[in-house]
Amino acid sequence: MAQPSTQAPVSLSADHKARVVHRLRRVHREPGTDHKHPANQAHYEESTFGERLADRVAAVIGSWPFIIGQSVLMVVWVYFNVWAIFIHHWDPYPFILLNLVLSFQATYAGPIVLLAGNRQSQKDRITLEHAADESDKGEQHITKILIEIKKNTALTLQILRELEAEEG
Amino acid sequence: MASEGSVTTARQRVARQHKHPVNQLFHDEATLGERVADNAASGIGSWWFLAIQSVIIAIWIAINSVEFFTHKWDIYPFILLNLAFTIQAAFTGPVLLLSGNRLAQKDRLRLEHTAEVAEAAEKATLEILSEIERNTEATLKVLDHLKKRRAAKRGAQA
Repeated sequence: MAQPSTQAPVSLSADHKARVVHRLRRVHREPGTDHKHPANQAHYEESTFGERLADRVAAVIGSWPFIIGQSVLMVVWVYFNVWAIFIHHWDPYPFILLNLVLSFQATYAGPIVLLAGNRQSQKDRITLEHAADESDKGEQHITKILIEIKKNTALTLQILRELEAEEG
Repeated sequence: MASEGSVTTARQRVARQHKHPVNQLFHDEATLGERVADNAASGIGSWWFLAIQSVIIAIWIAINSVEFFTHKWDIYPFILLNLAFTIQAAFTGPVLLLSGNRLAQKDRLRLEHTAEVAEAAEKATLEILSEIERNTEATLKVLDHLKKRRAAKRGAQA
């Protein structure tokens, strides 16, 4: 009969942990490719055009270049309308047109925030459905193990009875 | 502190070293921009921010409408205050998305980690199952041997 393996179970090995972290780092740096979890695959790799557009817009507006660019634009606008000498002041103090422009931006930013939030909650739903599937599968495995152990116990008891009969 | 001793709450643990690989990756290895983004989001989304903003608005309106104050820079209907509000809103939106993107990224990483762990767990479970099956087989063989031995003994006695 084959020798029992003395290897530690897979989940405990430090090697496996290191591999997981390495993979995570890679996925961290290269988003949008090669996902392992089905919810991630459904969310990123199987998204429709509208969904990908929503992700792109959210990624652009929610980025440091956008925030810094907007700040610079605001400072330049105010500078030109207060101190510039050779340029016609198109929006003098108190900058009503700038107000309109920024309001316009905020009007769109709100719905885009919700768009991104809806996308996330949809993903959450997919994640939970997948978790339920996985849990079903786990339960099946455990049931199988339990049945097998019961079989084993029954056999061991039979051996015991056999031995007892032999002795007495 | 009430929980002095062996018990550490999740809140206390957060301030120290992270254990979950995704937390390690996400918080301990965050770039400067990412850390500033986290701080900006938690700064704007706090009662301190709301309280201070309310106080500033109240002072602004008081100085510009109550006759007692002589230096007024933004009289009724407070057009400059309106601009200040708009500027705040114009920055809050992008910061909200910034923080949301970061959370989405964390969610993505967490799921990847979950998938890895689930795979390892399934492998371990299947290993356990096959090990028990082997055990059953061996026990069955032991039983067979015993039965044969008893039969032989009975044959010898008879």
